[in-house]
Order: sequence, then structure tokens, then C-alpha cells
Amino acid sequence: MVDEKSVSASEPLDLIRLCLDEQIFVKLRGNREMTGKLHAYDSHCNIVLGDATETIYYLESGSEDVKSRKEKSELVFVRGDSVMSIADASNIGKTNA
Amino acid sequence: MSEDHSVITDVATGTSELDIGASIPSVLPLELIDKSIGSKIWAIMSDFHEFVGTLVGFDDFVNIILSDVTEYDVARKVVCKRSKLLLSSRNLAMLVPEGKGPEI
Amino acid sequence: MSAVPTSASTSNFLSDITNSSVIVKLNNGFEYHGVLSSIDGFMNIVLENSIEMVGSKEIRKYNELFVRGNNVMYIASQ
Repeated sequence: MVDEKSVSASEPLDLIRLCLDEQIFVKLRGNREMTGKLHAYDSHCNIVLGDATETIYYLESGSEDVKSRKEKSELVFVRGDSVMSIADASNIGKTNA
Repeated sequence: MSEDHSVITDVATGTSELDIGASIPSVLPLELIDKSIGSKIWAIMSDFHEFVGTLVGFDDFVNIILSDVTEYDVARKVVCKRSKLLLSSRNLAMLVPEGKGPEI
Repeated sequence: MSAVPTSASTSNFLSDITNSSVIVKLNNGFEYHGVLSSIDGFMNIVLENSIEMVGSKEIRKYNELFVRGNNVMYIASQ
């Protein structure tokens, strides 16, 4: 069995630990994104966000343009299997629309 | 369950279940892949993405390392070439040794 | 933790590419070009200075990004 420590100095989940109590940006399955304050997480990437804003992207029939709508929640549990990626919200730079 | 077992031993002409390999010529699936290390292999994902490259190695989950890889999309068009990659076994459907890929 | 890299070739590859430029492709077509800072047995990945791309279109830049392993199709050295 390989010692994981020899492969990487720190584990990927350590990055999420560093984001506790910070604003994070989560990409979810189904063309959804969420930002909010990270209250808790586990190894499955189940997460609890406070003051979260969910952005849902969708196509309206007969239109090529991607539209989006936002939904806010005071406190939300996100199941880990729908999480694709997590980043510190303050460290994101949009390069293109 | 016990019926299945008796069928197997019949086929193996009376040998025990563990000796089947000796009496019926067969190749274990992973033996085939192990023999392909160092030669070209064609990997087909369950979403019909395809990869052709030289098999460098694989692990217990059959995550595979390929070198000099050509990636094809679902329409069998070349997407890009990569020098070396670790292909996750999660959506791996088939491995074809000596496979020339979709360009047959 | 149960490790993905149980054979020498896969774990060697991962140690070879840690801290170097990689391309991570997800099953949904998203690609991340960045520096691999860590990876675990589930193929959870942390990338530094990564660019999110779909096809040849740049979407976003991330200083640090965690990618959940189940979405990963491949990790390629650049």
C-alpha cells in the first residue's frame, strides 16, 4: 500500500478545511453554482453553507442564450455527490463571461 | 448455488473448481491487460470517449497510465494528444489490446 | 485512507506530476489547466493557478481549486 504522504504533502480535503468560516464557491451538478459561508464539511464533501446563493443556469426553449436565476437560503445542506469542485470565493478571477 | 457448482466441476471433467484454469485454456482478464503493458491499447469509456496510447501500467482498480495518447470524442474525432495521462477507471468500459482505435 | 495508487506505475506517475503543470478533464467535459498541488486515493485533487475551460473557451481562473475525485476522467501531464 502506498503511503499517501509520500505522494502529497497535504491532502486535498485540507484545502476545504482552510475554507471553514470563509465564503466559498461550489460548482454543482446540473449547471448549478453556490456561494456561501462554509460552516461544515465531511470527507464525502457533504457541506453546510450559511447565507447561500445558488445560481442555476438554464436554456429557455427556442433560445440559444444561457439564462440564470438565483435562489437564496439562510442555511443549506449540500449532499457531497452533487459537488464537482470547491474554491475560496475570494480567489476567483473571471477571465471571460 | 450448489447446482451451479456441480455444473462447473462437470465442465472441468471432474477436477475441483480451483483447477479449472489448468484444464480449460483461458486467460484471466487482468492477465491480458498485464501482457499489454508496453504496447498499444485502446480504451473505450462508458460515454464513448476513446483513448489510444501505450499502456504504461495500471493499479488494482484498473486506473490506467497511458503514454503518447490520442483522445477521441463521442463522434470519434481527435480531441487532442497528451504525452502521458492517468485515466480513471470510473467510467472505463473496455480495453482493447493492440487496438488501433477508431481510425480503422 | 484506501488508496487508488496501489501499483507502482500509478503512484509513480502521481508523484512525478505533483507540483507540475497538469490538465484535469472531468466527465462532463470541463478541463482544468493548473499546477497539481495534491491528490488523494479518491482522486480528489487540489490545483493551483488553474484555468477552467470548456473546449477552447476559458471560463474562470482559480487561485486554488478542489476537484471532487468522482468527476475526474483523467489527469494528464502537460
